[in-house]
Amino acid sequence: MGANRTYSRARLAITLLVIGGFILADHFASPTFRRNMGEGGFETTLSQRESQADACAPCGAPCPSDQNNAAD
Amino acid sequence: MATTTEAMAHTSSTAAEPRRADRFVVTTALTAAAVLAALIALETAPFLVALFFVGGVLGIGLYHGAFGFTGGWRRFVVHGRGSALRAQLALLALATVLIVPVLVFAADAGLSGALAPVGVSLLVGAFLFGFGMQLGGGCGSGTLFTVGAGNIRMMLTLVFFVVGSVLGTLHLPWWLDRPGFDPVNLAGGLGAGGAIALTLALCAGLAWWVTRIERRRHGDVERRLLAGPEGGVFSSLFKGPWPLIWAVVVLAVGNLAVLLLAGHPWGITFAFGLWGAKLLQAVGVDMGQFEFWSWDYPAMALADSVLVNVTSVTNFGLLVGAMLAAGLAGRFNRASQGRIPPRSLLAAAIGGLAMGYGARLAFGCNIGAMFSGIASASLHGWIWFAAAWVGSLIAIRLRPRFSLSND
Repeated sequence: MGANRTYSRARLAITLLVIGGFILADHFASPTFRRNMGEGGFETTLSQRESQADACAPCGAPCPSDQNNAAD
Repeated sequence: MATTTEAMAHTSSTAAEPRRADRFVVTTALTAAAVLAALIALETAPFLVALFFVGGVLGIGLYHGAFGFTGGWRRFVVHGRGSALRAQLALLALATVLIVPVLVFAADAGLSGALAPVGVSLLVGAFLFGFGMQLGGGCGSGTLFTVGAGNIRMMLTLVFFVVGSVLGTLHLPWWLDRPGFDPVNLAGGLGAGGAIALTLALCAGLAWWVTRIERRRHGDVERRLLAGPEGGVFSSLFKGPWPLIWAVVVLAVGNLAVLLLAGHPWGITFAFGLWGAKLLQAVGVDMGQFEFWSWDYPAMALADSVLVNVTSVTNFGLLVGAMLAAGLAGRFNRASQGRIPPRSLLAAAIGGLAMGYGARLAFGCNIGAMFSGIASASLHGWIWFAAAWVGSLIAIRLRPRFSLSND
């Protein structure tokens, strides 16, 4: 297989590590991570999900709650 | 030009060359999957781990099934061959049969369909998406699974897809103020049985029309949907290529699994706008000043980790699954061989921008709006299909100007 390889192994590994670094950096700055570290008193995606009766589809259309707010 | 999704898909389905697994890519993909799954398990919730693996299976199905919406549309328009289009219609029909009853009879379980408004925003957005997918070389799912399979040109398409998505989020509130009406749930007026019957009738009618045109033009009809595997079942399962029917079943059941786990059907492109907005926020842009990013769901997604964002987690799984499938087939990065013409790169950028902007205006891509919309018995899914088809027709004529073959 090696003779037919069309990519650089090092470049592939570095690309994945960089993407992994972005994901970790984003996660460490998130409310979910802070809650996991014992902090509280703020909303996270999972707590928002539990508090809503219906899941809001991520299609970009305003959620029912947003529409209600706009109508108020 | 062999760098498009369809060209890659064609390469993927070529049986002449023996498939020998690339151990490095397979090991890397499995390692990435294990690390991400462990991180999600440790930091979030079990349903997100399950979604990650469902995304992985969807990525394998898309790659091994060479299931490209873009190429299938073009093959019918240019060559009059309709097997891929019939497979897409079979996918819509099967997913509708699976998803509509769940949405109707388990309405109290907190599940919601992919329902979206119908109006100028949807028409313009879907038209732009259809236009962009022919120049970009892949749709929402096609872009993602080819990037996972190491296609360099499609990485450029994805970058501009992200840019277009962010621009779309900034303008969406303005577009929503243009004429339109609230989501139309066909199951609401017709009941589950009526909505399913109508959808099946529409799919059957379109399949009949496609078959009629193919037979008139060629005198025969390709029968690839129900064809068996080219090699042994076990070898085909892991190394591909898959018969189309395998991909149809996996994608339809996968969409149902996403619905049951996440509470809403499969979507892809919300995450692209989210990733772009997060990058802008990281360099100091206050995204909260824009209306879209002040709405409940986008605001929470922007503030929180991508590891708790359903669409991002499914996309991560899809990327890793496609990488694993390409590694098992020994074809990782294979579609990037040879020089890529500069005009083709320009087309990738234009196509990515148009798809990203269009996906936000149209409430999703071919997966989130068309596939999941139709399978949720939402009228907007069919209108998305029609408007994107018109955009595709125009872009197919423009492809040769960008050194992109229509063969």
